[in-house]
Amino acid sequence: MHRAADPQQALKEPALAEPGSGSARAHVGFGLRAEHYEAILRRGLHADIAEAISENFMGRGGRAFSVLERVRSDMPIALHGVSLSVGGIDPLNETYLAQLAELATRIAAFSVSDHLCFGSFGGHYAHDLWPLPYTEEALAHVVERVQRVQDRLGRRLLLENVSSYVEFRASTLAEWEFIAEVATRADAAILLDLNNVFVSAKNHEFSTSQYLRALPKDRVRQIHLSGHSDAGAYLFDDHGSPVSPAVWQLYEQSLELFGPLPTIVEWDEQLPELSVVEAEAARARALLSARPERRAP
Amino acid sequence: MNLAELQRYFAQAATSGSGPLPDLDRVFLGSERLSARDRLAIYNRSYFYRLLDALACVFTHTKRLLGETEFERLGLAYVAQNPSQHPAVERFGRAFPEYLGLLAVPPLVVDLASLEWARLCALVAPNPQQIASMRAIDSTRFPQARLHFVPSLRWLELDPGALHAFAGGVPSPTEIAGPRCGVAIWRAEHAALHEVLDPTEWQALACATSGAKVNRVCTVFDTGSTDDDVQRAFRVLSHWFERQWLESVAYDDAERRTPE
Repeated sequence: MHRAADPQQALKEPALAEPGSGSARAHVGFGLRAEHYEAILRRGLHADIAEAISENFMGRGGRAFSVLERVRSDMPIALHGVSLSVGGIDPLNETYLAQLAELATRIAAFSVSDHLCFGSFGGHYAHDLWPLPYTEEALAHVVERVQRVQDRLGRRLLLENVSSYVEFRASTLAEWEFIAEVATRADAAILLDLNNVFVSAKNHEFSTSQYLRALPKDRVRQIHLSGHSDAGAYLFDDHGSPVSPAVWQLYEQSLELFGPLPTIVEWDEQLPELSVVEAEAARARALLSARPERRAP
Repeated sequence: MNLAELQRYFAQAATSGSGPLPDLDRVFLGSERLSARDRLAIYNRSYFYRLLDALACVFTHTKRLLGETEFERLGLAYVAQNPSQHPAVERFGRAFPEYLGLLAVPPLVVDLASLEWARLCALVAPNPQQIASMRAIDSTRFPQARLHFVPSLRWLELDPGALHAFAGGVPSPTEIAGPRCGVAIWRAEHAALHEVLDPTEWQALACATSGAKVNRVCTVFDTGSTDDDVQRAFRVLSHWFERQWLESVAYDDAERRTPE
């Protein structure tokens, strides 16, 4: 069963722009990290939007939730998950989905996203983003699960492309074909992680331009930027450094292709001062603001 | 191989403690630059060290006491034997204190790990729906009431040396374990706190958290000296209110809450 493929109409997707403006102006922010909580509680954030890792706030109270509420009082929040395992063969975790739905409602999240991968097997969580074989069987499986998640959440899910280090011989589709097909058939949206595109392109020797051009323009709704490390024989997606010049170039290319999309800077390892992350976001904002508006969200 | 078989194979390769499986080249693509085996090894390494990092974030004092090398050895063995069952990675260490307790690790270290885990649980526990106020007590019905505690409150019996180690001390290898003490762990504002309770208060807390009515809890303070006993019971119960350990005072037979 496939949904109507009109991404503007089929599922609820809360507007990000200021009420009544109808404008997709430059919305740039970054991910909330525990190391910054104290600074956030003290002086707030210099950002238009913020991203919260869903699992860090589900069913929780205390400081983490106070920070989330504090940030939410200042700006819209995107929820970004890492453990949905939407491509996995384990049954979807209904408790997890219920808590995610409750959290999304409670903070009126402007988007809910997770990764196009699997991260659990046999009832155990990997806490990693494992790649899928890009086969017709996997495609049908993922589409059905994304639809179920969207039905459960009552909103469109954004799916993020992951970095990968290995490919399955069984794959019959390119990664970009797979993500485009999943998004279209499931009426989902795409969270385009440009660092992941760059890392995977280097590791598997494909063209980043080909990847970007193959994505359905009206499905790409958000962008992630982050840093990676060079391990010599491969690039490693560690979110532990500034966005690389090559990824900034991809960002400019993406803005050209997809318009001014909400953009999140992610930084997880060797986390610097909050102001350094804010400066990365400011750089993205400058590039994004220089682009003409594309369309209302 | 179908999707399920491919995922099973990948999961085995990525989580195997004894290195990647045979036949990897039949399932995965390699290149001149990086073989399929090397590529799977990236996932394998990430799996073990990401979870080891998750343990290190929670058990910082336990790690200090064990030393980097020993903590890594024990932590990686825990990762291999205790796959994560919770979507939030910070919950991965739930069984780590118990795991250490099964090994030839000094009991003091096990207690320190238990304390660190309890502090994490207190820190992330759901917010209470309300905080009970002493002023709102119905004094005529209070003896028949049951006390409901805030979700963040935990209680443990620990070797006092574990508390000393948590405070930054380094126990001597020849140190003889003292009598275990009752410790309450809770969250105040945004911080996890813990406090040693005297044996009578510990007994009263155990009684109250098991669902006993206030009049039953107060029998713990019974020494035969009525005035002193009443004053002492009043002081302890007041203390619980002051520290905001109480979510509500239930005058019916509502279910008691058991902490995680």
